[in-house]
Amino acid sequence: MKKSTFLLLSALLSLALLTSCGRRNENSFSPEPGISQPLTIVMPPTSEPEAGFDPAFGWGAGEHVHEPLIQSTLTVTNPDLTIGYDLATSMEVSADGLTWTVTIRDDVKFTDGEPLTAEDVAFTYNIVKDTSSVNDFTMLEWAEAADETTVIFHMTRPFSIWPYTMAITGIVPQHAYDPATYGSNPIGSGRYKLKQWDRGQQVILEYNLDYYGQQPRMEQVTILFMEEDAAFLAVQAGQADLAYTSAAYSDQRVDGFSLLSVQTVDNRGINLPVRNNVLTADPLVRHAIDLGVDRQAIIDHVLNGYGTSAYSVCDGLPWWYSATAEISDDPEQAKRVLDAAGWLPGTDGVREKDGVRAALTIHYTAGDSVRQGIAAELANQFKELGIQADIKGVGWDTAYDDALSNLLVWGWGAHTPMELYNIYHTAPSLDSALYSPYANKKVDELMDAALACSDLEESYTLWQQAQEEIAKDVPWVWLVNVDHLYWVRDGLHVAEQKLHPHGHGWSIVNNVDQWSWE
Amino acid sequence: MKHRLQFTAKKLVRMALLLLGVSLTAFFLMDTSPLDPLRTNIGQAALGTMSPEQVARLEEYWGVNTPPVERYLGWLGDVLRGDFGTSLLYRRPVLEVIGQRLRASLGVLVCAWLLSGALGLALGVLAGASRGRWPDKLVRGYCLTISSTPAFWLALLLLMVFAVWWKVLPIGFSVPVGGADASLWERLRHAFLPGLTLSVTGMAGVALHTREKVVDVLDSDYILFARARGEKHILRRHVLRSVALPAITLQFASVGEIVGGSVLVEQVFSYPGLGQAAVAAGLGGDMPLLLGITVITAAIVFGGNLIADLLYGMIDPRIRRGAARK
Repeated sequence: MKKSTFLLLSALLSLALLTSCGRRNENSFSPEPGISQPLTIVMPPTSEPEAGFDPAFGWGAGEHVHEPLIQSTLTVTNPDLTIGYDLATSMEVSADGLTWTVTIRDDVKFTDGEPLTAEDVAFTYNIVKDTSSVNDFTMLEWAEAADETTVIFHMTRPFSIWPYTMAITGIVPQHAYDPATYGSNPIGSGRYKLKQWDRGQQVILEYNLDYYGQQPRMEQVTILFMEEDAAFLAVQAGQADLAYTSAAYSDQRVDGFSLLSVQTVDNRGINLPVRNNVLTADPLVRHAIDLGVDRQAIIDHVLNGYGTSAYSVCDGLPWWYSATAEISDDPEQAKRVLDAAGWLPGTDGVREKDGVRAALTIHYTAGDSVRQGIAAELANQFKELGIQADIKGVGWDTAYDDALSNLLVWGWGAHTPMELYNIYHTAPSLDSALYSPYANKKVDELMDAALACSDLEESYTLWQQAQEEIAKDVPWVWLVNVDHLYWVRDGLHVAEQKLHPHGHGWSIVNNVDQWSWE
Repeated sequence: MKHRLQFTAKKLVRMALLLLGVSLTAFFLMDTSPLDPLRTNIGQAALGTMSPEQVARLEEYWGVNTPPVERYLGWLGDVLRGDFGTSLLYRRPVLEVIGQRLRASLGVLVCAWLLSGALGLALGVLAGASRGRWPDKLVRGYCLTISSTPAFWLALLLLMVFAVWWKVLPIGFSVPVGGADASLWERLRHAFLPGLTLSVTGMAGVALHTREKVVDVLDSDYILFARARGEKHILRRHVLRSVALPAITLQFASVGEIVGGSVLVEQVFSYPGLGQAAVAAGLGGDMPLLLGITVITAAIVFGGNLIADLLYGMIDPRIRRGAARK
């Protein structure tokens, strides 16, 4: 439906441009300079937290992790995704990794005037541990308040990246928390207060006058939830200041708005099963594929140019092994590797070895036009290399099983190394990793060491070493990071963004308090 | 009076069976759909960051590992006790969610329903009475165009014209953006376009059916006889009366179409009604909510048809006597 809607829309749009030139600006309201100008942002309907603004029900967590805005967190992620402090003033982990001690500031008040203490923090973590519907708190045993400003977390297993969990867990007040009502009437100590929530329509946030940090510059932020085509109409009607959009709309122009392209780790890649598939079981073939794909061509053909080449599942994050980016897309070299591996071109141009044709199927999840485009583009590029590739759309119900022996186009990109861990680490009850057959003892050891490590900086190095090992095996090939696109009203200054995680959503407003009107 | 009671009782039994069937079908379709509630609600990329332990917890919450029969019977048992369960997505009682959404939708739905019925009838009679001449051609042309137009496309077109070009109506929603007071006038302004879309699409079918009926009646012997007698007001005295019954059937049968149409239209207008919740529940694998919405809308549609059946008897004495004789 999206595609056809879009076509119709573009036809309409051209009509609109023809008939309404010159009229357009008269009615559109133009923002006054100053900080009090209310701000209206459009997000997809899926971004609305159905269960409300309760961290126990997934507010802040999930696929699209973000700062909870209404609540404070212990830590924050810095622009480079390293860890900084919000409520915390120091944190320490015991040598065995099983006890975290965090001290917090003593000058923070909830918006109902009550002070925020270590009791509230411990209460929050015990609640989310019991009820968490999204975020993973299974590594936490329990939390306790040692005194007014000290919280102790007792862990079930060492988890060096605990600060990344702390960065998205909003602290709720123990004295005013009722799971039945908190979601729609949240009380927090963050930069904004929930002023109004019209379910299914809009969320209105108002700045917190008593905020302990820097005063927010945007006094009121309205977030609308609209489908992509309706969001585009809202921009054209001048009723929104910033709205999400996709590459399909990127060649449109709207007076008074420009396109903002935000870099992401919202990556797309393919798995190369190291078992169960004659072709990709050959390590040289996997290397050749990694060398032979033209990432820029995918960006140009599928993403309208809005993307960056991806070389790992975590490009640009602190635990990224950046040497992976030194792979040059070099089809000629790839062909030489295939020749050397004994896969030689047959009469129809498709390579063969010992009577086996170099043929494979690239699966993609049906209904995702970007992944379909990537699969088609890859099939073309593989043909150049002498590998015959068919593409096939599948549903998620079968995709997981298919991926155990076939290539599948995946999308990942999280602000935590746990993703790296789950993709490459041997799963507990299996003899290989969860999503695609791959097992490497050394990689397992390095990643386990990284999790057990008591120093965050040091753990980054261990994650990187694990990736160095993985790069020798090429069990996955990473292709592109999809840019997130937004229409932005002229005069609105959007503060610098962290690398966005997978999916469109709240992370665009992580720092909305620092935005300004020019 | 007795036969009326019998009639109603029979209908109610039929309704119970229908609702059972509808819920069973909805459950079956949802259960066999390739949709995985974890992947759609939590997101595959988020699942990739979790420990197997957490994934297992979530699977339990979303009922992934409970056998379908057990889940359906569990739901049915609760419903028979009057408990429609708790929405997995919204984490509130299903009836509360539906009640809130229905309130938002109801005004639009009722207006669209009345408007499409009245205008459809008027246009149909006009077209039938002037068969072959330009009013007929105009009405038919209009109806055929509209009937072959998807409602969501028409909705986008209206948004384009009224909200983007002329900027006289809001771009969607049921309340003003930014939280100004939602006065009655504002609410009407916001409900106007969704209501208009539904009326415009709903009335085409009514008009075309009415036209056919009017043409039939005008061709009948008794009209010829009436004409031969030189009667005046044939349209009012004979045609309208004969058309009344099918018109009522159409009017109440169109309840289903209006409710169905609202699902797509509400998506386009970001209107927080039942349709929007149905889409969220369907795509999000929220079984209790989806079943709740399905059963309640089915009951509304059935109720519409039941009212039509009951009205027949009141309007047409022949049906009343026919039923009595049985």
